[in-house]
Amino acid sequence: MNLGISATEFVSQAKVGTISVEEFVAKTLDRIKLVEEKVHAFITVDNQNALAKAKEIDKKIKSKDKVGICFGMPVSIKDNLCTAGMKTTCASKMLENFIAPYDATVVSRLKSEDAIIIGKVNLDEFAMGSTTEFSYFGPSRNPWNVDYVPGGSSGGSGVSVSALECLASLGSDTGGSVRSPASFCSVVGLKPTYGLVSRYGLVSYANSIEQVGPMARTVEDVAFLLNIISGYDSHDDTTIKNDSVDYTKDISLGISGKKIGIITQMIGQGVDQEVVSATNRAISKLQELGAECIPISLDAVEHSVAAYYTIASAEASSNLSRYDNLRYGFDFGTEGYEFKAFISKARSNFGPEVTRRMLLGAFVLSAGYYGKYYLKAQKVRAMIKAQLDEAFKKVDFLISPTMPILPFKVGEKIDDPLKLYLTDINTITANLSGIPAISIPFEISSSGLPIGIQLFANSFEEKKLLQAAYALHKTTHLPEVPL
Amino acid sequence: MTRIGLEIHCQLTKLESKLFCSCKAEYRNLAPNSNICPVCAGLPGSLPILNKKAVEKAAMISLALGCTIPQKIGFFRKNYFYPDLPKNFQITQYNAYGPTSIGSDGKITIQGKEINIRRIQLEEDPGRLVYEGKSMLTLVDYNRAGTPLVEIVTEPDFETPKQVRVFLNVLADLVENIGVSDPYLEGAMRVDGNISEGDGNRVEIKNVGSFRDIEKALHFEMTRQQSLLERGIPVVAETRHWDDARRITVSSRSKEEEQDYRYIPEADIPIVLIRNESIETIKKQMPESIVAKRERYVKKYGIPAQVADVLSSDRFYSDLFEKSHNEKNAKEVANIITTDLLSYADTREKKLELKITAQHISSLADSIMDNKLTRNSGKQALQEMVKTGKSLLDVMASLDLGHVSDVNSIEKIIDEVFKEEEKAVTEARRNPDTINYLVGKVMRKTKGKADPATTLDILRKKLSS
Amino acid sequence: MVERKEIEHLGDLVKVDLKEPEKYIKQVEQIIKYFDRLDTVEFNSDDTLRNEVDSENLRDDKHEPYDISLIDHLKKDQDNFIRAPKMV
Ligand SMILES: [Zn+2]
Repeated sequence: MNLGISATEFVSQAKVGTISVEEFVAKTLDRIKLVEEKVHAFITVDNQNALAKAKEIDKKIKSKDKVGICFGMPVSIKDNLCTAGMKTTCASKMLENFIAPYDATVVSRLKSEDAIIIGKVNLDEFAMGSTTEFSYFGPSRNPWNVDYVPGGSSGGSGVSVSALECLASLGSDTGGSVRSPASFCSVVGLKPTYGLVSRYGLVSYANSIEQVGPMARTVEDVAFLLNIISGYDSHDDTTIKNDSVDYTKDISLGISGKKIGIITQMIGQGVDQEVVSATNRAISKLQELGAECIPISLDAVEHSVAAYYTIASAEASSNLSRYDNLRYGFDFGTEGYEFKAFISKARSNFGPEVTRRMLLGAFVLSAGYYGKYYLKAQKVRAMIKAQLDEAFKKVDFLISPTMPILPFKVGEKIDDPLKLYLTDINTITANLSGIPAISIPFEISSSGLPIGIQLFANSFEEKKLLQAAYALHKTTHLPEVPL
Repeated sequence: MTRIGLEIHCQLTKLESKLFCSCKAEYRNLAPNSNICPVCAGLPGSLPILNKKAVEKAAMISLALGCTIPQKIGFFRKNYFYPDLPKNFQITQYNAYGPTSIGSDGKITIQGKEINIRRIQLEEDPGRLVYEGKSMLTLVDYNRAGTPLVEIVTEPDFETPKQVRVFLNVLADLVENIGVSDPYLEGAMRVDGNISEGDGNRVEIKNVGSFRDIEKALHFEMTRQQSLLERGIPVVAETRHWDDARRITVSSRSKEEEQDYRYIPEADIPIVLIRNESIETIKKQMPESIVAKRERYVKKYGIPAQVADVLSSDRFYSDLFEKSHNEKNAKEVANIITTDLLSYADTREKKLELKITAQHISSLADSIMDNKLTRNSGKQALQEMVKTGKSLLDVMASLDLGHVSDVNSIEKIIDEVFKEEEKAVTEARRNPDTINYLVGKVMRKTKGKADPATTLDILRKKLSS
Repeated sequence: MVERKEIEHLGDLVKVDLKEPEKYIKQVEQIIKYFDRLDTVEFNSDDTLRNEVDSENLRDDKHEPYDISLIDHLKKDQDNFIRAPKMV
């Protein structure tokens, strides 16, 4: 049985009974057991429930009962999305044993379509990081070379899909957290338009810019997942009431006659030469398919890293205030403590990156500084969006490398936060402006490390974006993961 | 000169659900933490979902206080750590970066004094803390967390604590009248004050349990500041707490450093657009204001100004009036309510216990006007109806309250009185002003049932014959 | 320049006991210095990007009790109170 098939292929076979769901899930669990030691994608694996659910679905298929459209597809979930009855740790000591009493909306939508939640996957603590090294449970590793980082913060999602430990995964993308691991692990990852997917049950980090995003091995799979998880949710006031769209329909329409803008700020100075060459080859491929590519300058991008980290730190410092160990969190008696001393001691268990961002957030929001930092950062957002609106009058899509650099070694950049922040330059534009962006696995470097290409479209144009991504992905011939 | 400003917290008690979730807005008398959900308990991953009616009710208060409602309102997080705040921030409104509060720049005139309203903001109430015995451990109940609250901030326009009391009474009547709050529910209306003398520093007064005590607290503080200044001692800018037991204000012991609330826009709640049409709809839903009501009572029915004043400012009694009066008996109904009924039930609890209905009041007024009942008997009937809820006819029968107006019966009684009160009769013949004494004797013999006009008439005739 | 005192003040604002404040001083200073470039950006608009909703489309005021007893999933005492340390 081939665990490396696409989710779409799995569904078409499970539906007609040529794949036994139970067998597939059992094999997947074996695979997890085999490779976890090397890649450490999972925080929690739900063996028993997964198998029981698989049996149940096989039964329904055999007896021709109504089955959800996922047909028992094993899916991993980033551990900052709430799952009723299964731990949701956010890779933090603060929530080490926290069990949410409810499912995130995206999780309940997957469950109601008979997806099997096979486990919860690793991330940088509270999704703050871009390497998955800041997990309280230790780093995940890149299946293409386990000495290297898998990207982040949804590293466990990228790794679990890439290492064939599941068919698809849900991550969250605050500044590139879906697309970075998608690029580094050679899978497809989408950051939807802000407001398209419910955030109910996503543990907030920077709530004004983050979205839940699907990750899978093909563009079609991502479209399939987006069909399930997108749409208005009465539990999230920021979701938009739009007509429902079938993102898989007409996905192979092609991009002939479309115009694509190459963002000059994202392919110039500081970008790895091999990444530049790969991007240029991607542009050629798109031209061969009938698209017209022109350079587009977005000078507001120059301010994006400063704006992004200002906003993200500020919101993080507020969002993480609730973790005080009174209502939930690890056990720690209150006796003998005064309130402030107690919570300050409890909260000293946050890891260094989270602490750093909370300090930065307190600084930029403190009295007298709001106008200098936070308000300016908010204006940069509007400025970027205005420039994007201008660009989308001329072109249908924008293109850039997803990451300006190749995956690097575990530990290499962990002590230089600013340097790490700067590697987000290509991904954060989509978060600050709210527009959708997708990372498509495109090449493997000479050193055997994946390179992803990023496409952007205007807000709520996911359907068009997925068609373009599908076309580009079809031009690639990528090797199997060498794990 | 004394300058006093107020911050009034008023719960929107007429709502069904909390400000950001579907838990019950009425949290009183529930088992601890039985009225909570992931949103109001601040669980990871939960998001606030704004209550439409809370926005409307807050807009009503803004309109009633003459405030401007902006086209876009926004919410902010006020960040500080306290165990009654499940998220360790409070979702509120903030005007520092543009007017996004539900109301700004209003004013209200009370007894000729203009009080400016700086801001009205919609926000969530924190949970409730209980302190446990000697250990001083804190017990937290989140049933109240997320209850919709409106904060009304006035300019420092009050000059005396008495003006504050008058204002608060008017404000309480106003929020009750427009149907947004029951200000007499425990904890529904809470007031903080700030007060300064002359050019002296401002002192904040917090922790005033009932809003009736605020006058006392302000008075104490005013006197304290004045006596300091007389002795040439400057007033320290500080927060002082009202010590209910000792009836004084005391400096807050905890050296609370200047709080830095690090306000940040609440991105989980989109900017709310309030269209003009929506405001018009809200205006239409708003009941007649107390002032307009008072004027109508005076103009349309000729009710005396003082009676109209009392009647219009009490939502319960003005509702009763509206239901029980008609063009003809309005004045009599107003009279019955304000002179008699009000003395039986002047508190919330007593009002709820009243067994009387609009039907009772209406038939009582008609009977008095049709001379079927004297005003005196009317009082007795009312008292009985209030207690038992029986109909007027039943009450009249059981208490034998029928009117005596036939000349023969009254003449018989007057003859008896003349025999018993010879001295008084002689006196009345000499000085007609003393006739009332004899009227009173007739009334006593008839238990107040004799028609006063007829009685007087016959008495005069007999005296002059 | 960010100094130890300031880092400790920030730590106090977010209520975290900093075990090694020195560790954060240099990094926070470096990052804030980077943020300072925001002050030099010239804007031709005061717009900020926010989602909007019409007041008529907000949640209806209806009481619906939560479907489980949430307190049973939280840390509590035998009377269903949450316990916090003393406040003074
Ligand atoms: Zn609730």
